[in-house]
Amino acid sequence: MNWKNVARLISIDTKAGRLIRGGRTRRYRERRIFQYLLYGGALVIGLAIGLAVGNFYGGLSNLDLKRTIHESAGTLFISLPMLILFYNLVLTMMGQIQRAGVKSSTEPLYWLPITWEEHTLASTVAHLIGLPLASIVLFSSAIATFSIYLGDLPLAALTIFALLASAFLASTTTEIFRVLLSRLIGAIYKTSGKAAVWVRFVGTLLFLIAFYIIWFSLTSGAGAVILIQAVAGAQNAVWFIPYVWLGMALASLISGLLVQTAIFLLASILFILALFYLAVKLNTRFGLYEPPAITVSKGVYVSKPSFLGRLGFSSLEAAVIRKDFKAFTRRRELMYVFITPIVFILIPLMQYVGIWGGSTTPPGASTFLLPWMLLAPGAFMAMTVGMMIIGEEGSSVWLFYASPITSRSLVKCKYAFICILSFMVLLICGVIGILVASPPLDLAFAFLIESMLLIFALGIVSLRAGIRGADFVEVPRPRMVRPLTSFLNTFLCFGLAIVILSPLIPYALEIIGMPIMRIDVYVAVSISAVIAAIIAFAFYRMTLKSAEEFLSKAGS
Amino acid sequence: MLMASTNENAVELQKVAKRYADIVAVDYLDLNVKAGEVFGILGPNGSGKSTTLKMILGLIKPDSGSVKVLGVNAQEDPVAVKRLVGYVPEDLHLYEFLTGLEYLDFVGDIYGLVSSEKKTRIEEYLQAFDLEGREGDMINSYSQGMKQKIALISAFLHKPKLLILDEPLAGLDPKSARIVKDLLRELAAHGVTTIMSTHILEIAQAMCDHIAIMYEGRLLALGNIEELRQKAQLPGSNLEDIFLKLTGTGAVKEVVEALLK
Repeated sequence: MNWKNVARLISIDTKAGRLIRGGRTRRYRERRIFQYLLYGGALVIGLAIGLAVGNFYGGLSNLDLKRTIHESAGTLFISLPMLILFYNLVLTMMGQIQRAGVKSSTEPLYWLPITWEEHTLASTVAHLIGLPLASIVLFSSAIATFSIYLGDLPLAALTIFALLASAFLASTTTEIFRVLLSRLIGAIYKTSGKAAVWVRFVGTLLFLIAFYIIWFSLTSGAGAVILIQAVAGAQNAVWFIPYVWLGMALASLISGLLVQTAIFLLASILFILALFYLAVKLNTRFGLYEPPAITVSKGVYVSKPSFLGRLGFSSLEAAVIRKDFKAFTRRRELMYVFITPIVFILIPLMQYVGIWGGSTTPPGASTFLLPWMLLAPGAFMAMTVGMMIIGEEGSSVWLFYASPITSRSLVKCKYAFICILSFMVLLICGVIGILVASPPLDLAFAFLIESMLLIFALGIVSLRAGIRGADFVEVPRPRMVRPLTSFLNTFLCFGLAIVILSPLIPYALEIIGMPIMRIDVYVAVSISAVIAAIIAFAFYRMTLKSAEEFLSKAGS
Repeated sequence: MLMASTNENAVELQKVAKRYADIVAVDYLDLNVKAGEVFGILGPNGSGKSTTLKMILGLIKPDSGSVKVLGVNAQEDPVAVKRLVGYVPEDLHLYEFLTGLEYLDFVGDIYGLVSSEKKTRIEEYLQAFDLEGREGDMINSYSQGMKQKIALISAFLHKPKLLILDEPLAGLDPKSARIVKDLLRELAAHGVTTIMSTHILEIAQAMCDHIAIMYEGRLLALGNIEELRQKAQLPGSNLEDIFLKLTGTGAVKEVVEALLK
């Protein structure tokens, strides 16, 4: 194994993510400070947590309470490797889903004299760069600091080692999963023929839904606490599963069983090495597996003047809208946007059933569920799709530059696509929301209209941001919009949404027990419509100007 | 009725300049391309060929000078120019998630072709370029040559009056390359102008009526092969020798010997 090669590969993998892109950037440049800010921040927060908890613990005079905290810390330490494993498994899998699952044999890295061991190790470590590593830094610094007050440095050292090992274990598992999945997907495409496009679409959505639900369970406060308790209690029962051996080593150390600690630790290391060996073998066999071609149609069929044409779109505009629909149902990284409304529906519904339970709905529950399900998904969709709809063109954007497309047509077809997709989401979420919450007719009407207004306004606001901040970088994953633009636009949209919804604020205050004088709901909705129209018109003018600049600066 | 090359200029570049920061891409270029001719632009890497082609198409605005394409000012009305032009870029990036057929259908719609006409032309071109049977597959499974064929068909599809082709024969099999060459000659006879950039000098010599040789953003020489021979003072020589002499890159032997040491 050439370690320098591994380091170079990791550097290439992470370099694209750190690249600073600007309108006229010709040379590579990056702000190194941002590279370390995440880890520095995690370190500082971890130290602060460790100091705060340690000082509290050190200042306690009640010995029983001290013992309880000491025991709880032990339970937490035992659970942490498993938690980190789950957390990193989800994070690295989510990272992989955004990248091309199959490594392209045309990438220069695969022509060069680099072994599969080096490729696999670099890929495994590169998965961990960013949030996964930052989470380990945070936990490690907190544990190390707190352990000084506990007076149990060996336990802290072993816990930190277990965290690192767990993260590597998760990443190696992801690497194996990625290779197997790309091979499996290839086999599925081969057998599913023309249905392959839809098989992929549904399969990807199911995969994302599963992982989002796990992610939500892990990151929600209650879920994490339940998991910690469950993991600490269940590890002994499932000791034969190698993934829990790191936690078992910690549990053995706390119980003073040093030989057992050493055995579990050694077994864990051997398991990680075996798993890594398996990943290398699978990569060697299938790493550059080329999946079979997906055949979508047989014979020559061309589109005819369509429904979109009857709605007033030119053949050019209709073609772009049709192309974007295909992109969003065929490109895995774009299918990602469909997950948002599904999560918007599923998570509150699960909470609705799980928290309140039974057949009786508590008073006020529907009042919160309805605005959440009617206002949020469509607006969020409009904002997300608006920001990425230009950048998703990637390097194929040259066709727009070379085509006889005017700025007006570009804005029209892209804005129409944003609205159509968001309205479809609103329709689905709205129907489910109304069926579940059974609101009064006027309230349902008001929310539906407000949601449409949000889609119209935030769609055009985000389209302008998407044009100005378009990022056509596609490797290692399509970026679509610059992070700063995305960040600023999210804040802007949030502010504008509040402005649009402001005539309904008296109703919201009434619900939370602060009644103030309010106007008729239909008048409030009308005022909202005027505000939204003004915002949409102002941003439409600005978007046209941005589109003109975008098309005229094609070669810059 | 066949139309031979006329005296009308299809493309007129007057004192066109383009800089990228401290790099001079095109240095006050004057160039006229007659309607109905196949015109070759040659030059070493970085000599400004692609930038010139992009300025003709209206993709890049020159810093100074004017570009007229078929009587239309490319800076003032680039969309009108694009309607008249078929373009194949050097770096091919097609929508990989579309099938070849869907891509051509999309391009046909972009140029406003009616359905029946679009269908007929797509069928004819797919057959000519041996893509029948693969037109329903997603482009991501195509070879480089197949992608090049799709790009060429999409440039020919709307019957443009001007073709701008950057390395048009790259990756093509001999039969398809021959079809493209013959097609360009036939189109020229029908008054269609082609401006192509290539590094394959035999192709340029065989296909082009006139050739411009660019170097460091400037026009070194312009004319037919005989005029270029006279300019280079190399009677009876081929285009490769002329090119190497004019661009001052002819000391190949010494370079090879140095590399072999």
